[in-house]
Amino acid sequence: MGHAQNKEYSQRDYDPIVRDGEELISTHCCFCGMQCGMNIRVRKEDQSVLGVEPRYDFPMNGGRLCPKGVAAYRQAEHQERLLHPLIRKNGKLEEATWDEALDLIVSKIQEIQGKYGKDAFGIYSGSSMTNEKCYLMGKFARIGLGTKNIDYNGRYCMSSASVGFNQSLGIDRGGTNPWSDIKFADVLLIAGSNTAECHPLSMPYIWGARDRGAKLIVVDPRQTKTALVADVHLNLRPGTDVALVNGLLHVMIKEDLVDYDFIQNHTTGFEELKELVQSYNPTYVSEVTGVEVNRIVTAARIFGQAKNGFAMFARGVEQHATGTDAVSNYTNLCLVTGKIGRQGSGVATFTGQGNGQGGREHGQKTDQLPGFRKITDPKARAYIAGVWGVEESEIPGPGLSAFEMLKALGKEIKGLLLVCSNPIVSSPSVGDVGEYLKGLDFFVCMDMFLSESAELADVVLPSTVWIEDDGTTTNVEGRVLRLNGIDRTPGESKRDWKVICEIAERLGRGQYFQFNSPEEIFNELRVASKGGTADYYGITYEKLEKMQGVFWPCPTEESEGTPRLFEDLKFNFPDGKARILSFEYKGPNERTNQEYPVILTTGRVVFHYLSGNQTRRIATLRGFCPDPYVEIHPKLAEKYKISNGETVKVTSPRGSIELVAKITKITREDMVFVPYHWGKSLAINHLTNPALEPKSKIPEFKVCACKLEKVEIQAGEKHG
Amino acid sequence: MGKVLYIDYERCIGCKACVIGCEECSGHDHLSRMFVDELNPGETVATSPTPCMHCVTPACAESCPVQAIAIAADGTVLSASMEKCIGCKNCTYACPFGIPKVDDQKKVMYKCDMCYDRTSKGRPPMCASVCPTDTIRFVDEDAVKYEPPKPVQFKWDFGGTVIETRTVIGLPDTETNQFGYREGGGVQP
Repeated sequence: MGHAQNKEYSQRDYDPIVRDGEELISTHCCFCGMQCGMNIRVRKEDQSVLGVEPRYDFPMNGGRLCPKGVAAYRQAEHQERLLHPLIRKNGKLEEATWDEALDLIVSKIQEIQGKYGKDAFGIYSGSSMTNEKCYLMGKFARIGLGTKNIDYNGRYCMSSASVGFNQSLGIDRGGTNPWSDIKFADVLLIAGSNTAECHPLSMPYIWGARDRGAKLIVVDPRQTKTALVADVHLNLRPGTDVALVNGLLHVMIKEDLVDYDFIQNHTTGFEELKELVQSYNPTYVSEVTGVEVNRIVTAARIFGQAKNGFAMFARGVEQHATGTDAVSNYTNLCLVTGKIGRQGSGVATFTGQGNGQGGREHGQKTDQLPGFRKITDPKARAYIAGVWGVEESEIPGPGLSAFEMLKALGKEIKGLLLVCSNPIVSSPSVGDVGEYLKGLDFFVCMDMFLSESAELADVVLPSTVWIEDDGTTTNVEGRVLRLNGIDRTPGESKRDWKVICEIAERLGRGQYFQFNSPEEIFNELRVASKGGTADYYGITYEKLEKMQGVFWPCPTEESEGTPRLFEDLKFNFPDGKARILSFEYKGPNERTNQEYPVILTTGRVVFHYLSGNQTRRIATLRGFCPDPYVEIHPKLAEKYKISNGETVKVTSPRGSIELVAKITKITREDMVFVPYHWGKSLAINHLTNPALEPKSKIPEFKVCACKLEKVEIQAGEKHG
Repeated sequence: MGKVLYIDYERCIGCKACVIGCEECSGHDHLSRMFVDELNPGETVATSPTPCMHCVTPACAESCPVQAIAIAADGTVLSASMEKCIGCKNCTYACPFGIPKVDDQKKVMYKCDMCYDRTSKGRPPMCASVCPTDTIRFVDEDAVKYEPPKPVQFKWDFGGTVIETRTVIGLPDTETNQFGYREGGGVQP
């Protein structure tokens, strides 16, 4: 008997199989924000990890898994795992003891902070860690190190969605609804998300809606596996989302497909929007976006006429120099038609990282304190100071955002602790990032594999694989989940939170970091988040097990959480009204020109996760997609006399790489697509544009200008 | 009537979770028995999975010189018996769908047995368990063959020889080509 909140999900009525001599650890996948449930098969005798067994009873995925999920456990016994601390000696990373490593780290922190000030030591953190670890990183930075400079890789991922939702709805929970609500929509508008490949386990919900007759509109420059099965595919030119949505709004307003009662009672700003979108007629929008007029009009009518519907989006919309505008504009589609706050209607962003939601809530963002509190808010500062037992003045103010921090390495920032991230692969213009890292006096990295970034560190600390620790994450819906860990730490690896507590101890700040388990950290997080927007106070480990996850806000111990936001149509502003914001189309930061005439966009494939540090090491996944490639439309390929399988040099103003050409009609003629999961000479991020969105500071990964050149390979060289 | 595999091509995203999932069944020795093919490369991203079709009268078993391929009581065509199989590949050549593979080192054939270790215990095969989009489903044979949710095929005409399979294929919409499966049907202008 499951909890009522899980009734309409996709769980199945089977028990897992437990084989002789084995036990199952029920946990969640370490990869994307779907946080699919899975059982890990463990040999009782020696706790070795053997395989995966479906967890049929977990609501979100009912045992289903994508290939990354099936193969995730193969990291645990992987031969490339880091099992000892490493210290760079005479230019080479060599095995060392924990004492040597921690002594060196602490002396370097003290030396750097003594010489240049507290803020000269920075932390670059990650969002694939549990809530407990993310919370601890924020606390450690502020009162362990006393530095203002902590930010995290979610800056590249979820920050535009966060700003966009906050400015439109007053709250940033990635999904306003439980995922099972998707099945009850009459229309789904999915923009800038290759859901089928990047969040495969959303597909049963999308098909669930389609089986009930729902229409699917997909906005994507490529005919992805998601767009392939759409009723209307709006194959826009990358970076023109704001114009496209203005066009959709123009048609809906003109044809009276908006909900004036809802607009009147629950929103502000509609008149300004109406005024602004007047000039965005379909003909003009078609010119800007490259989408046919009839597709724009058809999509607007389908969305406007539907009773219930969702607007959903991902990085294709958000990773732009105007990403927050685009997020709010897509949200407008639901606000002007009153599609929010009930089953079948809402707004959602597909969270990319495993804990992309929780990781942005509890204080590892440079401008934020736990519970989504602003670090500049005096009341928030006073409350958190009370929880931590320090003076309010001891908590630093906001520091630099992720990419700004990288640019400051060697300048304001002389020492860096990198945790659970691989910025030398995942940042824009990575060639420059390599130079920035060289400017550091001291660089320490914590990881379970020697990532491309870890290779450059002075000290590398071996952490554990995700299934070797307890904790919680918060999924794409805002559902907090319990992850069970195996009680083992192979070799000399240690759990990240323990290492942080030990460093704090050695820095003489141990009194604030007396934690013996993730649950103790979580219980402090509960108090720290109490009264904040993301209120976890009423969530306990016990409740998480019992209910198979709890949706925040959950402010009291009696509360069972909030699966659906805005059921009372009260939005998180003092007047309770959602903000309809209007935006002129500005376009991407970098335009194509005579020298760089082709648009470059980047993205993911189903077989790999982010910088590939984990998935590229799993032989089966690597086998399915061993190398990056460049997708080119046949007509564009013809211009450059490029055939399928030939090598192409792709160059932007920032760098170039050589890739194998994949000629395909799924892409537009004016652009090329390259997946970004590889490092070094295969990193497409050598080319991407580091222009930052002014509000969210997300880099514009999704559009830059490039040129193509066929690489002539000498006879005999090809098979050499 | 028993349960069979039902494949709805339109939902396939080509992720190969079935291919890896197949390796995870206890009887499979980490050798996958699933195939995923691109249907229209260069034109669309359409793909489809192929497990064993579990013929009602299986040519693989009939062609086996040592009777290594058994048929379970529920009609599942099992993988070759390790003890009996001589790795001769008769089955590979006899199968109209090209399913049986032979491990050349061990000299033994291996193919989809619908995860007999699981189905005999009432659990779905691994491919149907993990498939993230419900492309592969484990459903009642009668229901899917005679009251299908969409047009299906389970009889195949090979030059006059009609073969009935237990595995059922849900046919993609090639008429309006809504889901891009028709040959050369890429929709990008």
